[in-house]
Amino acid sequence: MSWVRRIRILYQAVFLILFVWLLERLIRGDLHNLPYAIFHQTDPLSMIALSFAAGVIPGAMIWGLVLILMTLVFGRVFCGWICPLGTLQQLSAWLLAPRSRRESLRVNRYRRWYATKYIILVVLLVLALAGSLQTGLLDPLSVLARGIGAAVWPALPGGRPMPGGWLAAGFLFGILLASRWIPRLFCRAFCPLGALLGFFARFSLLRIHRDATSCTNCQLCTVACQGADEPLGEHRISECMVCLNCTVSCPEQAIGYNFLPPAPPRPATPDLSRRWLIGSAISALVAAPIIEATGGGRASARAELIRPPGALPEPQFLERCVKCSLCQQACPTGAIQPAIFQAGVEGFWTPVIVPRRGWCEYTCTRCGEVCPTQAITRLTPARKTGTDGQPPVRIGTAFIDRGRCLPWGMETPCIVCEEMCPTDPKAIWLEPVTVRRQDGKTVHLQRPHVDPARCVGCGICENRCPAGAHAAICVSSVGESRDPLNNLLLPRIPPAARKEPLT
Amino acid sequence: MSDPYRRTISRREALLRLSAALAAGGAISAGSIFFHDRRRISPTARTVPDWRTNEAHLPPGAVAHGDDPAANVRRAIRAMGGMERFVRRGETVLIKPNAGWDRRPEQAADTNPEVIAELVRLCRHAGARRVIVADISCNDPIRSFEDSGIGPAARAAGAIVAAGSAIRLVRARTGGPMAGLDIMGQLLDADRVINVPVVKQHSLSLATLGMKNWFGVLGQGRARLHQNIHHAIAELAATFRPTLTVVDATRILMANGPQGGSLADVKQVHAVAAGIDPVACDAWGAALLGLDPRRVGFITAAEGRGLGRADPRLLKDLGTG
Repeated sequence: MSWVRRIRILYQAVFLILFVWLLERLIRGDLHNLPYAIFHQTDPLSMIALSFAAGVIPGAMIWGLVLILMTLVFGRVFCGWICPLGTLQQLSAWLLAPRSRRESLRVNRYRRWYATKYIILVVLLVLALAGSLQTGLLDPLSVLARGIGAAVWPALPGGRPMPGGWLAAGFLFGILLASRWIPRLFCRAFCPLGALLGFFARFSLLRIHRDATSCTNCQLCTVACQGADEPLGEHRISECMVCLNCTVSCPEQAIGYNFLPPAPPRPATPDLSRRWLIGSAISALVAAPIIEATGGGRASARAELIRPPGALPEPQFLERCVKCSLCQQACPTGAIQPAIFQAGVEGFWTPVIVPRRGWCEYTCTRCGEVCPTQAITRLTPARKTGTDGQPPVRIGTAFIDRGRCLPWGMETPCIVCEEMCPTDPKAIWLEPVTVRRQDGKTVHLQRPHVDPARCVGCGICENRCPAGAHAAICVSSVGESRDPLNNLLLPRIPPAARKEPLT
Repeated sequence: MSDPYRRTISRREALLRLSAALAAGGAISAGSIFFHDRRRISPTARTVPDWRTNEAHLPPGAVAHGDDPAANVRRAIRAMGGMERFVRRGETVLIKPNAGWDRRPEQAADTNPEVIAELVRLCRHAGARRVIVADISCNDPIRSFEDSGIGPAARAAGAIVAAGSAIRLVRARTGGPMAGLDIMGQLLDADRVINVPVVKQHSLSLATLGMKNWFGVLGQGRARLHQNIHHAIAELAATFRPTLTVVDATRILMANGPQGGSLADVKQVHAVAAGIDPVACDAWGAALLGLDPRRVGFITAAEGRGLGRADPRLLKDLGTG
């Protein structure tokens, strides 16, 4: 094995291990402030789609620029050297299907339908322009984080079950399995991030160059090609993942990776016809308002759609969430789950709090700390709990179901919800009553009541309620700070209401 | 460019390709820096303008009695110095009736259509470029405007009627109980605003008058203002400062308000008040309902905030014409 290939594999291994390790640390609840979102923050697909959808590149997302500038100089090195999903596919292609040279030559040919990824990219970017951010569905970094966080980790000893995770598992393992037949099929044909970088790679200064005078057309370069970019023929620079396998496999040293080499003519078959491009853009333009109007995600607030604390108002949230699932991994109680149906079509896999699975820990602000796009804004514990003098950040309000509640419905003492309530003073207060039961005995009970002005909707009451599968106290999204209209109570009128002079 | 597999490229081609890469990098960098951290989380909120004119030496208001509502309007406005004093040539005037309910004029749930029509004519005569009659009804807006007679009468007098889907809702910079509520865009775009309530009983606020009429410029979610209604009405009055308040008391609704229905609850008063002091105008209306204005929470709250004086006697009585 040549040293070039060794160095590349080392790079790939380091980035893959870093990605998995950061995710593992996050899931395990490492209290160190590690750069958990670093991969997602340098994702230029998210960066560009966010600037289209939300008109903003929040905070560290600007680092996506580094990847773009790197691509302008080196080509798609991200795909060949960094992307952990690419590395895994390469690994599975190598493990699952040892190939003869003849077979390798066949599967590493360029196929016209590899241009599908450009159609996907155009559709996703047009949807983003229309205000629906869906890049996260196919973004390789989100795909891998979701697959590991929602499917691999729950299956390991000590993992938390995550309903719906099988969808992420199916997607991830489907991608890896596909490499058995065509190596890096997802990268070559479907990856929108690869397509975006492929667009910028057209300008790249360093690129593969074949010296035709010394080339003997032995095709060994194509045998080893990761990107199916045909270094032997009319090299497709936007497909090349700069794995450099062709340069080291060439027995004649006819292929080099050079600065500003002569460019071969553009391949005869176009990557993507203009008809397809315009057609897919128009389809996305038509689809976007239909999804927004009928997908069920925007019309009005829904009771079960409890967003993590600090989440932006729903339309702005949907413009920013890239479905990377980091908040779901970060949540120490497992309260944050992927939304399968709760958030409508657009909100598929966005984070939603399911109090029966976990509660929002009172002073925890981890989900906002790891959110790469600040769809969940960063809070401090003081800001979240309202000890800074401002009202606390609320995510909902608890309601008591008196038919299910032990002291209310069954004349049986229970104070679990009140005991768990973290606010100060408690949002759940107990009313002492003495009642006669059916058997004639009198019992002293404490019946819980919710004070909606104090309840922040954390859901620990619902989580701990002993009333069986269906809790007797349930959190609904009403009262959430992010939506002033989804509120039971009026915001308090500032004490210093302005006084105006008589006219 | 003859041989694509030659060893080197020309200086010209190198320069072209370098500058293409540089341009691409520059463009994407500039775009990223432009979009970086731009705070555009919510669309820009409009401010609510102040529609009052220079009101020095004007009486707080005037009341005209008589069988013809239009004549009452004319006399009351004349006593205030004439419409020319309030509406200048070329201005856009928004008239805000109470057209909240699908009721007929004699049921006194909506502002009298003749009052609205006369105000439209006076504004047109004063040179207003456009007169818009708009309200966000509680019942179906088309039925409310047609059955109350306000729609046909206003159109016949030369106004543009904005109701239902014609109402634009915009985000405005409002605080307190109105936080997050959208506001009628036509209102914010108008140069002058005339608030034209009808006098009605109301089970929570005791009376529906001019200051409460501002509920009708708010979008979805306004119902929650009922939680602390007196404070909320005072906040509305502090937010929306009309050029004129014209209180229609041609027929007033004494009970089962604000929707009414039974003619037994309607009292014929045959009066119209016009004024620049919204609190005094409301105090006059409350007195018609048999209420002591000093015991109506929103009136005292508005007076306490310095929005006017809660004294019905401040309105000049012009008698029967």
